[in-house]
Amino acid sequence: MRQKLILIGASAFALLLVVVLYRGFGTDPHAVPFHMAGRQAPPFKMKRLDNGQEVSFASLAGKPVVINFWATWCGPCKLEHPVLQWGAQKYAGRAEFVGIVFEDTEENTRQFLKENGGVFPQLFDPKSTTAVDYGVSGVPETYFINKQGVIVGKYANPIDPGTLDRRLAEIL
Amino acid sequence: MVLALLTVSMLAQGYAPGREGTAPLDAAREERVMRLGKQLRCAVCQGLSIADSPASMARAQLDKVRELVAQDQTDEQINDYFVARYGEWVLLRPTATGTNWILWLGPGLLLMLGMVFLYSLTKGKQAAPPAAPAAAASAGDPYLDAVKADLKR
Repeated sequence: MRQKLILIGASAFALLLVVVLYRGFGTDPHAVPFHMAGRQAPPFKMKRLDNGQEVSFASLAGKPVVINFWATWCGPCKLEHPVLQWGAQKYAGRAEFVGIVFEDTEENTRQFLKENGGVFPQLFDPKSTTAVDYGVSGVPETYFINKQGVIVGKYANPIDPGTLDRRLAEIL
Repeated sequence: MVLALLTVSMLAQGYAPGREGTAPLDAAREERVMRLGKQLRCAVCQGLSIADSPASMARAQLDKVRELVAQDQTDEQINDYFVARYGEWVLLRPTATGTNWILWLGPGLLLMLGMVFLYSLTKGKQAAPPAAPAAAASAGDPYLDAVKADLKR
């Protein structure tokens, strides 16, 4: 009887361990949880790098918005830059694209945009305040915000055209 | 080709240029900033608090704590600000609520279960019947059996 109880207890413990390990192996241990989906996008007001004009989130109200957090020292950001340029042109008039540069310098960014082009507004976040407000945990991260100003989701990798199309379809 | 491009781009990953944090507050409020910062996990580090991490992003998060302390927000409100963005993951000391009780009580419960298991094992051994006397085991020895048979005669 005692041996039976020990066997049942050990089996239950082994099963629990398997469940915990299965769940653990199914997730990236370095992934930072994201809890901003479904919340109202935090307001911001920053200057455009090209003409110094102030852009606020309120000025984008009523349109789907794509916000790309990036920096010039980030390799994957450089890789996705042409994709975002393509997306901004393809969805012109239907969605607003905004780049927010943080953890960087204005000079570096201006030089990068001069060499690689910039078809949509690029804003500079000098103290990363907006990045922290949005719960950014690295670069690049692209946020998708619907017409109501609610964050639908974010993509925390260099974005490709297919993913950009799919994620935009969710907010258009 | 795409994989090679991706690998090269990953290797080309640089570092954020250093920058100054915001100016410290008065001693009492700055002590509070550091205390709260020690309880919050840095978003880009491996298990470091934002007060201990040298990462630029951690400095930005600590600046946010400083800004909220300057606005006279309570500890709970400041923790809530970060939990709203990163979930309970951001708290280096999880709150003792809901399923978090498993984290707090689990190790103690497992230790107790182990001790009960060990106790039942050792108790079982002590209660086991004593070994049969050596005399009874002589049945396998033909010489001894012959002697015993002779004596019985």
